[in-house]
Amino acid sequence: MSSALDVDEGEPAAGSPAANDPKGERQRFVLDDTGFDEVPKKYRRFYRKWKGAGDRLAANEVICPVCKVVIRSSRTLLPGDRVYCMPCMSRLVVARNEATGDLEALVAY
Amino acid sequence: MADFLSGYSIQNWLESCPQGYLEGTVYGHKPGEQEIELLKTNPVLHEDAIRTTVQLVVGERAALAASSGLINSAPDEASKRFLATQTLDEARHVEIFTQRLYDLGVRKEDLESTIARFANPNLVKFAGVLLEKVDKKDFVAGVVGQNIVLEGMAFSVFEMMYALNEPMNPKFAQTLSGTIADERRHVGFGENRIGSLLKEHPERKPDIEKMQKDMSYFMLATFADAFGETRAVDELERIGQERSHAQFHGADLGAMDPKEMEDLLAATVLKEFKTRLGRLGLQYQTPARP
Repeated sequence: MSSALDVDEGEPAAGSPAANDPKGERQRFVLDDTGFDEVPKKYRRFYRKWKGAGDRLAANEVICPVCKVVIRSSRTLLPGDRVYCMPCMSRLVVARNEATGDLEALVAY
Repeated sequence: MADFLSGYSIQNWLESCPQGYLEGTVYGHKPGEQEIELLKTNPVLHEDAIRTTVQLVVGERAALAASSGLINSAPDEASKRFLATQTLDEARHVEIFTQRLYDLGVRKEDLESTIARFANPNLVKFAGVLLEKVDKKDFVAGVVGQNIVLEGMAFSVFEMMYALNEPMNPKFAQTLSGTIADERRHVGFGENRIGSLLKEHPERKPDIEKMQKDMSYFMLATFADAFGETRAVDELERIGQERSHAQFHGADLGAMDPKEMEDLLAATVLKEFKTRLGRLGLQYQTPARP
């Protein structure tokens, strides 16, 4: 589907969290179904809706700045990882916000 | 080339939309759900609901004209196919919001006269700026106007309306929720396609920035009219109906007067414009306050 989607099966895409963790040293996360239904079934567990004030991102999550959906990886995310937001088709690169210290996603046009 | 669309297909759209969040719905909501009784029986709230829904129909008719008009000026096949699915999304939006007018009691033979009576003139001018670009087959300006300015505005407007309706009107809230899901794809296409096109055509930036300024002015004027005209808050207070304390960007909408809600919505949309345009290398142009 996309070069940067973090699917578990098959060869990891270049730049994806899986490809950037060849020794498997990062924490793994089991992605359950959160009811997100805006992408084909196979990919739904990789996304969830942002619940607004009070919601918190886990270490494997980042918000898409274009459509505000939370993108979930099966591994801890680190700066430089490439992720894909299927609901809005944006290709994103994870970065560290120097002001807040939080991870954020930047759009790669 | 629209590389970001390499994973997009009609099949993807089918699995996400009709076989995803729209599965089992009728006109965007669960079968059998009805508008709340108060909206049908209270004359002030009834007219307010019709007036609001008319603006949605007017906005979506403009989006339908724009997205379909842009197909033939799109420079690549992938964009044409995306815009074909967007055209169907927008046609669906026109249909579901028109159906809401019928659900609120507007007769089919009165549809156009009702729209003509309640359509906000500033919203019509907002659409006119966009459709002028589309008519000239100006793809870059058309996509910025449609998929960034219009859809960006709709995204925040629908989210605020969803927050207001979720606790009390599940039928309309679900209708809005499906529309918001569609808007995600549309704003995503707008940003990603224009992000690459502006790299090829940086000379287009000043013209597009002026269009954004013009459209933003009419958008703010529409908000001012809409929140200035509403009598819903006063009427709810008069009849002793408690307002829902819905949250929108950290604010309690149930504790705000219409002017405060207008200011919050305008600030939210303009902040989003500024951020989105900034990512594309466009300079946000502050419009005059109507």
